[in-house]
Amino acid sequence: MTFITFAIKSAWRKPIRTLLMIVCIATTFMIYGLTASFVNGSQSASGSSEDILGVMNAAGIGQPMPRAYVNRIEAEDGVAAVAYSSRMRGFVTTEQNTVTLSVSQPRQLMAVNGEDLGLTDELIATLERSRDNVLVGRALAQAKGWEVGQTINFTSFTPLSADGGRNLQLRIAGIFQGATAHTDTYFLLGQYDYVNALRARNKDTADVFMVKPDDGVKTGELAVRLDDLFSNSNTPTQTQSEKQFLEAFLRQYADVGLIVQLVVTASFVTLLMIVINTMVLAIRERYFEIGVLKTLGFPRKRIMALIMSETLFVFLVGGFIGLCLAFVAAKFGGATLGLVLSYDILLKSVAFIFGMALIAGVLPTLNAIRIPVVAAFRTR
Amino acid sequence: MSSKPYIQIEGVRKGYKIGGESLSIFSNLNLQIEKGEFVAIMGPSGSGKSTLLNMLAGIDHVDSGELRIGNQRLDQMGEGARATWRSGCMGIVFQFYNLLPMLNAAENVELPLMLKHLSVKDRRSRVDKVLTLVGLEGRQKQSPSLMSGGQQQRVGIARAIVGDPALLLCDEPTGDLDRKSADEILQILTYLNREMGKTIIMVTHDQQATEYAQRVLHLDKGTFNEELRKAS
Repeated sequence: MTFITFAIKSAWRKPIRTLLMIVCIATTFMIYGLTASFVNGSQSASGSSEDILGVMNAAGIGQPMPRAYVNRIEAEDGVAAVAYSSRMRGFVTTEQNTVTLSVSQPRQLMAVNGEDLGLTDELIATLERSRDNVLVGRALAQAKGWEVGQTINFTSFTPLSADGGRNLQLRIAGIFQGATAHTDTYFLLGQYDYVNALRARNKDTADVFMVKPDDGVKTGELAVRLDDLFSNSNTPTQTQSEKQFLEAFLRQYADVGLIVQLVVTASFVTLLMIVINTMVLAIRERYFEIGVLKTLGFPRKRIMALIMSETLFVFLVGGFIGLCLAFVAAKFGGATLGLVLSYDILLKSVAFIFGMALIAGVLPTLNAIRIPVVAAFRTR
Repeated sequence: MSSKPYIQIEGVRKGYKIGGESLSIFSNLNLQIEKGEFVAIMGPSGSGKSTLLNMLAGIDHVDSGELRIGNQRLDQMGEGARATWRSGCMGIVFQFYNLLPMLNAAENVELPLMLKHLSVKDRRSRVDKVLTLVGLEGRQKQSPSLMSGGQQQRVGIARAIVGDPALLLCDEPTGDLDRKSADEILQILTYLNREMGKTIIMVTHDQQATEYAQRVLHLDKGTFNEELRKAS
């Protein structure tokens, strides 16, 4: 019998209680895995580049800037390519069916982050064939069940045309895949000129300029120079990486990260309270056995290692099950739910498992090592 | 040439505080036991038998005085040192066996060996050897809950001797057994004493059990009132 076998047998002494603890832990880590995957997934900025810069209005995200800025940005040293885009939120068919339409000049977009989005010359050519053509991201197409050739009716949440019209008839010309599974592909990609021609307000404006720096150019320095270009204009800018931009963009609607953090913290704290309480009771019931072990010569550090191993075992099994469930959900429902379970999340989860096992094991361990043998024998 | 006794208790004081009041168990306890002796200690409840056994086992400390076993001064050891000493020099047999229910017979016996640097093969070999010695060969995998009281106590004895300690402390080892099982356990203890040279100190209420011992000590009100020597 190894020490680990002994610890596992001790942990399994009351199977129902141990099983319930494992269920609690599995549930918590499944919640963590799913929520973290959600933040990391298609509705987050996980697949966004740190190298591509986003220039936006310093007054706030979504505030328009003159599209003419593109020429001055393009002329700046160290800029390889620029694209501008306007984003519109709306719905298709029913209001619950919310989607985002991002409109750009297709060739410019291709030059800046065509690689990240998985755009090909063929796709761009298809898109340009008709002004009401759109490309749909892989995740969105899977979630909605859309296919190439289908026509959808996009209704903007804000009026588009002078007569208050909000509807756009769009034809799905192709599906872009994204460079990796983490790339945000949960949106529609349309043509700027088509939408701009309809606009009654904010004509010839863009919400963001995406800048691809030349190789070897420090993005931080370039960002400062770009902001300096417009610092004395009516519309000063704030430049940051695409990743930061998308994160800030999402925060307009809700600080998903903060909400997730609060939910996860609450569930972890609750879990700790449950496991600590259960472990304290379980060890108290075994004081007599602890006394026997001490009598046989088990020193404090062995007793400590035993109880810590028991706690760790319960956390490892529960955590593993929870993460497996989250993995299955991300694998089979990831596209629909926007879940991406990354290695980062798995590594963090493992750290949480060990950390929480350590915290949960401290109190019962202290109780066990402190109790004198004679007092332990009186508990029978 | 005079040699020191194996166990020497000299001027030992021991008391407890209960509800703010001091209760003295021993005020000046003296005892000497030679190596290889089989000593039975009798006495009424509250006479201090268990306290004495706990002190000898190093699981309770003396307030003052000298408690020496072999070359070790237990009264001067800290808790960690006493634990180390217990794992190497002493085995203990309990009245209610105190086997761990989630482990089988062999695993219970193996527990003290987990503290020693032995290979799995050596540990298994030692466990098999002591289980055979106590008459439980072939029952390695059996759960203690499926064993009779006598068999459980044999496992308890095997656990106590598997580390090959020189001293065996027995706390009413036959107290929970019928006469036949009790005699079998006492025969095993006698064998360990006579054939393997173990020093055995046995606390008991069982008059017949004392027949197996070489010395019988009567403890009352914290002192040994009489000592009967029997022919070995």
